[in-house]
Amino acid sequence: MADWDELAEALADYTVSCNSNERLRKMQRDWSRTLHFVCSDTGVTFSMDVDHGEILSSPEGHIGTPDIVVTTHSETFCDMFWGDLNPVQKYLRGEITVKGSQEDIMRLDAISYVIWPDA
Amino acid sequence: MTDAKQHALDQFATFINPQKVRVMRAAGLDIIEAERSGPWVWDVEGTRFLDCFTSAGSFNVGRRNPRVVAAAHAAVDRLDNGNFLLCSQAKAELAARLAEITPGELSCTMFGSGGGEAIDFAIKLARGSTGRPRIVSAVNGYHGHTGFALSACGRASFRQPFEPLMPEFVQVPFGDLDALSAAVDERTAAVLLEPIQGEGGIVMPPPGYLAGVRAACDRDGALLILDEIQTGLGRTGRWWASEHDGVAPDIMATAKSLGGSLVPISATVFTQELREFLIPNPFIHLSTFGGSDLACAVALEVIAVIEETGLVQHAAAMGERLFAGLRAIAAARPEVITEVRGRGLMAGVQYAEDSFGPRMSYHLARHGVLAIYSGNQPSVMRLMPALVIEPEEVDFLLASLERAIGDLVSGAGPEQAAPTRPRRRPARAAGAAS
Repeated sequence: MADWDELAEALADYTVSCNSNERLRKMQRDWSRTLHFVCSDTGVTFSMDVDHGEILSSPEGHIGTPDIVVTTHSETFCDMFWGDLNPVQKYLRGEITVKGSQEDIMRLDAISYVIWPDA
Repeated sequence: MTDAKQHALDQFATFINPQKVRVMRAAGLDIIEAERSGPWVWDVEGTRFLDCFTSAGSFNVGRRNPRVVAAAHAAVDRLDNGNFLLCSQAKAELAARLAEITPGELSCTMFGSGGGEAIDFAIKLARGSTGRPRIVSAVNGYHGHTGFALSACGRASFRQPFEPLMPEFVQVPFGDLDALSAAVDERTAAVLLEPIQGEGGIVMPPPGYLAGVRAACDRDGALLILDEIQTGLGRTGRWWASEHDGVAPDIMATAKSLGGSLVPISATVFTQELREFLIPNPFIHLSTFGGSDLACAVALEVIAVIEETGLVQHAAAMGERLFAGLRAIAAARPEVITEVRGRGLMAGVQYAEDSFGPRMSYHLARHGVLAIYSGNQPSVMRLMPALVIEPEEVDFLLASLERAIGDLVSGAGPEQAAPTRPRRRPARAAGAAS
């Protein structure tokens, strides 16, 4: 089980990785969404505000109306945000659930691919 | 993984799209097709799959149907694509056959090479004939990715990156006759619909809906275009799905299975009355490869096979067997399947959750069935096997579905791939949360 500090650290790294990646920013320039990440084990939730491909903020709590809700174990979130885990396998096992459009789910996976092509 | 498969995937990733390879691989669908026969396909590693995707219903006569393959060989021996600008015997023969097998007063044809092209021409003909601009289509409808067809597509994510598209396209909820009737007026050139929505998740029209649409069109002088690209050529147990409703369109598009899994061809079939627009404009719509002589020869044999082997009736019978089995499974597994719908061999399995679509595609592949969830509705699995499927193959599909559901419920799935680089996540300090 990952605590909030670990999640925040992972999220900060993910944010830097995304926002500093010019290729990704260009690719995602038409993508503005609110994402909620829900830790199934701790109940912690944080909300990510993405504006034209840039992650603006990721405060704790349910903030705004989500376009996408991702739910999984806190450890899985940390591994995902650090790029140590390709989430698709866990998705197929039902260990990660995603509520949202198929296009947005595909976008999330494409982000992982661009910033961590070797994950 | 064999070297041949790895090489193909690597080349695809390098020269086509790496993310497509990544997604298909992760989903267990990184299948490189090799041998194909009837309702079956084998990948390059020799694994056999019952093909229930069939390129979204493109293989009605089965893959590499021997009669169709022979016709293709014979055509290649004496023909080529032909000069598209010249009159063609092959085109004329196929157009005559289409006039015989299509409903109502449909009797003239414009050929194309794919479904989108067929819809593009249907819309051009509607606008050109009526002199009106508006096209009414359905939310979650799918008609292809070309210009006019994309404008009519009912999935915003397909359209939005390319906007502005064609003006005067309106979408209304499929099955809502009041909404459609309100959208049709004296500025409406045509209503464009699938008789059963395919990509939308095998969505059935309510009883009387298509007849009501026909009446709304007739009320205001609008044309009715039916997209039978997935539903036609016997798929639903009739030659055309619209026959179930007793409705004849002014324009019909067919493609996919018309090419017998071997050649690209599409046809837009319309009435003599609408052909009037083309009399003073005989060269207003041209297609280099549309209705090539080779493709027409193949399509003629496809129609002959469907007719002479009773494939439409066979599809209806196999559909009854399939739906009986699906309904029994749904009754036993209400936590996974909430509804089964469709006609003939066009079946939609509605799952309880969106994620079940991709996950069931994975599990079904593990049990020898290639099936892909609906593009516009991931909680629906499309099952559209070749119409030549036999009873024991239907039973194989049903048994595989039961086993796949068992795996889904048990949480089975792919093992986490071994990392290919050192972990980035910092090691947790001793005594920290775990």
